[in-house]
Amino acid sequence: MDEIKPDGGTVMVVDDEDMVVDAIQGFLELETDHLVLPFTSARDALAHLEKEPVHAIVADFMMPDLDGVQFLTRARGMRPEATRILLTGYADKENAILAINEAGLYQYLEKPWNNDALALAIRNGVERSLLFRALTERMAELEAANDELAGLRQRWIQAFL
Amino acid sequence: MSEPGLGPTAREITQARLATLGMLVAGIAHELNTPLGALNSNHHVIERALLKLGEILEDEVVTPDELDEVRRVVRATESVLRTNGIAVERMVSLVRNLRNFGRPTTSEPRPVDLHEGIEGTLALLGHELREIEVVRDFGDLPLVVCHPNRINQVFMNLVHNAAQAMRDGGVLTIRTRAEGDRVRVRIADTGRGIPPDVIEEIFEPGFTTKGERIGMGLGLTITLQIVHQHGGDISVDSEPGRGTTFDVYFPLRQPTGPARKEASE
Repeated sequence: MDEIKPDGGTVMVVDDEDMVVDAIQGFLELETDHLVLPFTSARDALAHLEKEPVHAIVADFMMPDLDGVQFLTRARGMRPEATRILLTGYADKENAILAINEAGLYQYLEKPWNNDALALAIRNGVERSLLFRALTERMAELEAANDELAGLRQRWIQAFL
Repeated sequence: MSEPGLGPTAREITQARLATLGMLVAGIAHELNTPLGALNSNHHVIERALLKLGEILEDEVVTPDELDEVRRVVRATESVLRTNGIAVERMVSLVRNLRNFGRPTTSEPRPVDLHEGIEGTLALLGHELREIEVVRDFGDLPLVVCHPNRINQVFMNLVHNAAQAMRDGGVLTIRTRAEGDRVRVRIADTGRGIPPDVIEEIFEPGFTTKGERIGMGLGLTITLQIVHQHGGDISVDSEPGRGTTFDVYFPLRQPTGPARKEASE
């Protein structure tokens, strides 16, 4: 497997406004090595997550079919390793902050957003996701080793009984 | 305003007007946020793109690799500029829709296209109407002589109330008709409705279903007052669980004499 760097990886961008998705995609494609997956519907984005993992998700708060917190909460259930970043307009800031824990947010950014802050949040988010994955793999290895040990012990005990 | 002590006081009217103004400002800020966010980000991208192209051209030699990069940067810039076009168009149409909102009240009444005010209201309350289907059933309306910003306050209050009544979505229908010597604007929602035991009170000062936000309980009182000042009337019909319909009537001929003086001015 190719090693993914924090400035690479896959980033999902979800906003019902075309112009926001286009602007963020244009910026990331020009300035970073992230692979950008643009979505203007939260439901389509969830359907994609069902099939494939991503490293980071940037979602708008106010969307018609599913709000950003509901969307990210579901995304968390499906892909806990994908780092979640919320974009909020000024009018929905309070609601968004209240819901940070619900969706396990890594960061929220206010609109109009600052590109450098956004790029930094995404880069750190991808790095976090890679670490999360590595940790999960190590845990699985440990568990497997543990199981093996338990099996050995069981055989030892049986041998002496 | 009939008997002293029964109608809203000047201070209450000012509060209600400030509440409308608050809604107006919140609406403008919210509607500008998206196109402004895109323009801001894209401005930054174009700046960096030009810087990149400048660096490539600096030594006056363009290698094949650099040529690929130039093509990539130009493609990205083109797409960003397209988005800018859409964002600017959105802001221009918002401002166009709002031409009438900012006019001072002291101006003389003038012939107004009510549809323009309705569209402006819908544009401003767009963020409250995100989960609501808006049906425009507009008839042919003659111009109505009125104070446009006062009339817009009427539309704003009624549309805002309709949106509040349909927090979980619904249909907002705005129907306009010319009927003989008057014009009727119907604002109908499919929201939670108003219980029959309080429907008589909704135009009373202080009636509210929205907690204690200053001035909000006066929304319908002021709305009715503005319509009366224009020689018009409002009727309401509601069924709990099914929705509420307000009919606002404006006469095509204004009552004779100067427009009535408003209490707060």
